Amino acid sequence: MFFSKIWFFLIALAATVALTIALVMPRPAERAHVENEKQRLVVACSVIDILLGDDARNRVELASAFASKVEIVSALEAASGVASIDEARMKSVRAVGESVMEEMKGKRKPDFAVLIDKRGRVVARVALDQNDFGDVAAGRPLVDDALAGYLRDDLWSHNGTLYLVTAAPVVKRETAAYAGAIILGHQVTNALAQRLVKSLDVDVGFYLGKDEVAGSKTLAVEASPLVDAVKGIAGADLSQDCLANKPIPITAGKDSYTALVARLPGEVSARQAYYTVFIKRPAALGFAGTLKVVNQSDLAPGSFPWILVGGAFLVMLAIGIALMMMESDRPLRRLTAEAVRLAKGETERLSEDAHPGKFGSIARSVNIHIDKLGREAKSAKKDMDQLLGPSPEGSLGTIDLLATALPAVRPGGSGPVSSPPPSEFKFTTAATQPGVTPAAPPARPTGRPGTPPPTTPAARAPTPPPIRVGTPTPPAMPVTPAYIPVAPSGPVTAPAPMPPPPALSLDDDILGAAPEATPAPGEQGAGTDYFEQVFDQFVTMKKSCNEPTTGLTLAKFSEKLVKNREDLMSKTGCKDVKFTVYVKDGKAALKATPVKED
Amino acid sequence: MSLPLRVCVVVFGSLVAVGPVDAGPVIGKLDLPKEVPMREASATKGFLDRVENPLAPPRPVAVTPYLVVVLEQAEGAQKGTAPGQVVWELVGESFARPVVIAPIGAEVLIKNVSKTARTLVALEDAGLVPSGPINPTGPKSFRIAEAKVYTIADKDAAHLRGTIVGVTSPYVATVDETGKFEIADVPEGNYKLRIFYKTDWLEGTTDVAVSGKGKTEVAPKVPALNAPKKK
Repeated sequence: MFFSKIWFFLIALAATVALTIALVMPRPAERAHVENEKQRLVVACSVIDILLGDDARNRVELASAFASKVEIVSALEAASGVASIDEARMKSVRAVGESVMEEMKGKRKPDFAVLIDKRGRVVARVALDQNDFGDVAAGRPLVDDALAGYLRDDLWSHNGTLYLVTAAPVVKRETAAYAGAIILGHQVTNALAQRLVKSLDVDVGFYLGKDEVAGSKTLAVEASPLVDAVKGIAGADLSQDCLANKPIPITAGKDSYTALVARLPGEVSARQAYYTVFIKRPAALGFAGTLKVVNQSDLAPGSFPWILVGGAFLVMLAIGIALMMMESDRPLRRLTAEAVRLAKGETERLSEDAHPGKFGSIARSVNIHIDKLGREAKSAKKDMDQLLGPSPEGSLGTIDLLATALPAVRPGGSGPVSSPPPSEFKFTTAATQPGVTPAAPPARPTGRPGTPPPTTPAARAPTPPPIRVGTPTPPAMPVTPAYIPVAPSGPVTAPAPMPPPPALSLDDDILGAAPEATPAPGEQGAGTDYFEQVFDQFVTMKKSCNEPTTGLTLAKFSEKLVKNREDLMSKTGCKDVKFTVYVKDGKAALKATPVKED
Repeated sequence: MSLPLRVCVVVFGSLVAVGPVDAGPVIGKLDLPKEVPMREASATKGFLDRVENPLAPPRPVAVTPYLVVVLEQAEGAQKGTAPGQVVWELVGESFARPVVIAPIGAEVLIKNVSKTARTLVALEDAGLVPSGPINPTGPKSFRIAEAKVYTIADKDAAHLRGTIVGVTSPYVATVDETGKFEIADVPEGNYKLRIFYKTDWLEGTTDVAVSGKGKTEVAPKVPALNAPKKK
């Protein structure tokens, strides 16, 4: 079992390593995924920044074109010359502005326009607050720059709306004199946001503080983390926000997103204006998450080393089975076979050295127990012999009595473990039929548990088949009587279940008195017929042994038997006693055997 | 009343009505440097940097709105009275003048002539300007308590900023587009003229001797304005 254990350890170790790898492996992948996600956000953020810059460039060109319109120049030049702007002038200039805006169909039409004279006064507004005029717009950086002759863009917020604004100076070409400036505004809308992320596979949202102004997707994003992230941005260079910031997790309803914030430039920067690029966070990776995303193609033969895995499995299985067979199955089979042989009596002990390891220990333990039982049986026989007298040589005698308490394994004996086949019963039955004397006692006449250890030769002697009292069939004279069992009752039941108790030798008592073997009439009481049969057998046996039968009377004989039966019954608690006539040392002898069963 | 008595009363009354005879205006024109300062980078910037238009060169920076002057009394000079009020108009996205000057104790009256309500505050002294918005056409006034520079700003409009220069002398004036200024009723005496530009006083002073009779003209030279140094 040593190598099997080693193999089991190796398999367990390999399984643990495999499990560890399975649990750990997704983590680097997850880190790589997060890094890729961040990189994707950074790229998307940078691209959006670039697109917004391109959009600003286009809008500046649009403003420049707007400002270069002659009618605009003329209107603002005229307005710059008057001390105050009245409503009539405002309306005329506004009409000019509206007509110019109408010309911009097909281009990116602005959402509003503001026309400013060279003093910085608003002459007219188009499409937004168009009834307001006369206020001074100078002072706003964009307007100041435009009045000073610069083209530029900015971001304004107005009534919670974010505008991308551009300004251009209005210059009279002929004199190169400044006549004023115009401002065009484009609202930041969902359409703009969707256009920006059309090819980026991300989403973008524009915010003023916690308020979402526009976005490519309608989401109820928790804006507090975004504001905190904006507040945490260090550095004045807004163009570096996409590269310098770290993605943050945000939630929108039940969905989780990873977001990257970048500040918006211009006037709105003072109002915490920013845009957020975000992507939906994938389900948690890890082992379970990885398993969830495994698809059929991952397990296709082309992408998964089925042969390698299958081969490794078969090799491991084969090695495991081989080790089990080598170290467990085969030794166990050998032990089992030897145990069967032991049970059959083909062997008396298990071969300890033939079995390795624990099996050898089992064999040794069994052998130890066999030896112990043998010793106990021997001791028990001695005790019974002391009680009942020595059992006849060659007979099972008291051993048969003891055998009722012995285990199936015949301790040290050669008896069978299992019950004898029906033929043996027949043989036993035949052998125990009254009048039939077996030539030799069968080795295992009754199929009962075995005899004591081999160290007790007498114990190995076969037990004569009993004759039950109650079937007082007169026994026939044996031809070569080793012994003649006399059953107290009728038909012999062959595998007689344990006629148990120890034999009681009455030779001396009976012979000592040695009365004339003539039964006294009227002396027969209960079982008198049986005693008569036993008496007849005994007399016959004595005669056959050329022993005198003078003085042997049936009355005395019966009296002795009755007395001995009562003694034996009182000592052993048996229900009855059977008597067997046999030859001992060339002399007829009588053995008493307690009968416990009916 | 007899005629001679009437004549005396009229003469005395005339003398009293005319007041001190040793005060006169100081009129000056700043000798501005030929080299105008570079236009500063814009306070804000969009996605793009500003670019010059191709049709005309950029307009030069107007410096005179940012210039104010003061005559500080030299030792032995007489004290005058503080000007009663400085009116400062809020015209929209900016003040009518980005820099105004006011003596200590003068009342500054801000008049919002725009259509937008503003909430102004002095960055250096939060209690200088009374709290609350200045509604369109509505005024808000306060008095200068110290001789220091106050920046008045609207926290909701970062670009809206104005500067009030508080001084101890009551003889102050702003400068017009050409650099001219006039300080009325300056008592006879010796004065030093100092010039404030944008955020700080310019280096150097100009001595002005007011005779008390007629107007006193000065032409103080203004140093380069690119990098004003603190006094």
